[in-house]
Amino acid sequence: MRKILGISALLFVVCVVTASLSNSFLSAYNLENLIRRTALFGIISIGVAFVIVTGGIDLSVGSVVCLVGCGVPWLLTTHGWSVPAALAAAVVASLGIGLFHGLMITRLRLPPFVVTLCGLLLYRGIARGFTRDQTVGFGSEYKGLRAMATGEIPIPFVSGFSLPAPWIFLLVVAIVAAVFLNRTVFGRHLLALGSNEQAARYSGIKTGRMTVLAYVISSGLAGLGGLLFVLDVNSAQPVDFGNFYELYAIAAAVLGGCSLRGGEGTIVGVIVGAALMQVLRNMITLVTTHNNIEFAIIGAVILAGVTADELVRRMAARKRARQEAAANAA
Amino acid sequence: MNKHSTPVASSRVLSKLQILIVAPWIAGLIAALCVAGCNKSTEGGSGGGGASSGGKKKVAFVSNGVASFWTIAAAGVKAAGEKVGVETETLMPVEGISDQKRIIEDLLTRGIDGIAVSPIDPVNQTELLNRAAKRTPLVTHDSDAPGSDRAVYIGMDNYGAGRLCGDLVREAMPKGGTVMLFIGRLEQDNAKRRRQGVIDAILGRPSNPTNFDPPSGVIEGNGFRILGTLTDQFDRAKGKANAEDALAKYPDLGCMVGLFAYNPPLLLEALAQANKLGQVKVVAFDEDDATLAGIQKGSVHGTVVQNPYMYGYKSVEVLAELAKGNQAVIPASKFIDIPARQIRKAEVDAFWADLKAKTGAK
Repeated sequence: MRKILGISALLFVVCVVTASLSNSFLSAYNLENLIRRTALFGIISIGVAFVIVTGGIDLSVGSVVCLVGCGVPWLLTTHGWSVPAALAAAVVASLGIGLFHGLMITRLRLPPFVVTLCGLLLYRGIARGFTRDQTVGFGSEYKGLRAMATGEIPIPFVSGFSLPAPWIFLLVVAIVAAVFLNRTVFGRHLLALGSNEQAARYSGIKTGRMTVLAYVISSGLAGLGGLLFVLDVNSAQPVDFGNFYELYAIAAAVLGGCSLRGGEGTIVGVIVGAALMQVLRNMITLVTTHNNIEFAIIGAVILAGVTADELVRRMAARKRARQEAAANAA
Repeated sequence: MNKHSTPVASSRVLSKLQILIVAPWIAGLIAALCVAGCNKSTEGGSGGGGASSGGKKKVAFVSNGVASFWTIAAAGVKAAGEKVGVETETLMPVEGISDQKRIIEDLLTRGIDGIAVSPIDPVNQTELLNRAAKRTPLVTHDSDAPGSDRAVYIGMDNYGAGRLCGDLVREAMPKGGTVMLFIGRLEQDNAKRRRQGVIDAILGRPSNPTNFDPPSGVIEGNGFRILGTLTDQFDRAKGKANAEDALAKYPDLGCMVGLFAYNPPLLLEALAQANKLGQVKVVAFDEDDATLAGIQKGSVHGTVVQNPYMYGYKSVEVLAELAKGNQAVIPASKFIDIPARQIRKAEVDAFWADLKAKTGAK
């Protein structure tokens, strides 16, 4: 819980600063945009968090976003597939990719970094191959399907503000993920596996299966994210669609308190981390006219936040040690 | 690292499992490679692979990235190759400037009778372009590198085309107002000049391609306020976010100008979601389907189109002549103009039909 406190405080400060510098920041329209973007990036970040919790890494997220994001409109518009068939293909492809990663890592004992790095190259390459590098999109069709990402859900008794549809997806994903991670045996196994794989295995946890599961969740959510991204943007170019999104997702997960060494992480933290990234990007456009230094600002704020978090933790640990020493002496 | 502690018997079972897991993937990979190979040989210009290359000249057309714009150019490349009897190849760099450099170097290593290139960063690529020009006829298309030894530039005057676009803005907003510009990136010559042309025309400045207004900061004049230029580095989600943020920041925004082919469709997406279609004027560049459909519906005032088909066609024609040693195709100005035009509601249907005929689209 304490880990989320730091990042939530940082998000709060950034929001307050932005709101004081720009009066459009708190407008309903801008908040809706921010919620939608946070939801989209939050979904892929939660997926990656599952892998990070086990002490692994998934670098293929952006390419899975690309594969599904280009694949679905391609199947629908170029090949005339029905919506259920195209969505089924997306589900099978993304879960299949996760299964493939998991088996390569657990059965062939290849390092996750290598397997998913190859995945990064492979899936974008495949998407570029079948679309022949052509931009794909829905044009003015599939309005109903696109409502999954562009739709808005009115809130009773509140006018002028409605919840963007992707938020519902994020909410469902987050609740299921949080319950799974914290309230089920599988979730505890996953965390145990992340903090000490050997110990987990010796205590009877089927570590292999848990690892495979983590990668399936990661790719599955990357696929869902890719689908929602393309439904929102309505156009995808396989060369750059979802480029670098694995890094946004990993950054959000780490910001949200997932240790890259595994064993710890909270779902709420990941969402707050994803939100922080989006608010920072939004702030730079709203407040400054220096669009080009965006990454510098994001990098600096995150680094400062993580450093402060670490220092506070050390101070707390030292204080505790001193108190314990005093108590022992007494 | 105690990962090999599995008993021997089970590891044998494992190895069978491993084969079971890996075999279908390898089979899939081989199948994918075969498919890729087949595609390649059907795409490969007039020659259809390396077999028939005996005696025929080979020229290459290098783009600055991957876009539908370049697919139209590739159609022109292919048509010209078939007409003048040279082998052609269209190459699109994926990862920006370093990838373009690699492509050009590989072409030179492999041996080529002419290269047409759209340089991404003309000033800093001069050395590379000059090295290429020493070994083979080199022309630039779409975006020029005026400081290099290229034989000729084939394309439009981006500054002039920008001015055409700026004129459309003034037409869409006869009383003036606020304008926001959206573009993929500003480092390439054509992007800078195009943007400058738009600004100068909106402000009613006399034509001067050497003007430069920095991208940050508001530019005012002639009843207009140009609020800024937002770049997205080709990340479409970011491009759409830019449009949304601009709408949030300036609720009374008058006009949005999308200067790269994919920008106007993203502007339309953002406007549709904000329920502001038709309320905020959109002026476009290039001929994306969504842009043309927007002009038909009236949500886009107009667009300025280049002629990528002719970029490809003319490049191959000129390179074929240069490869034969005929220098007469180069005009004294070292500029072959393929002019841009404005497309408004009145012209859009005829233009779109012609475009579909050239690219073979449905």
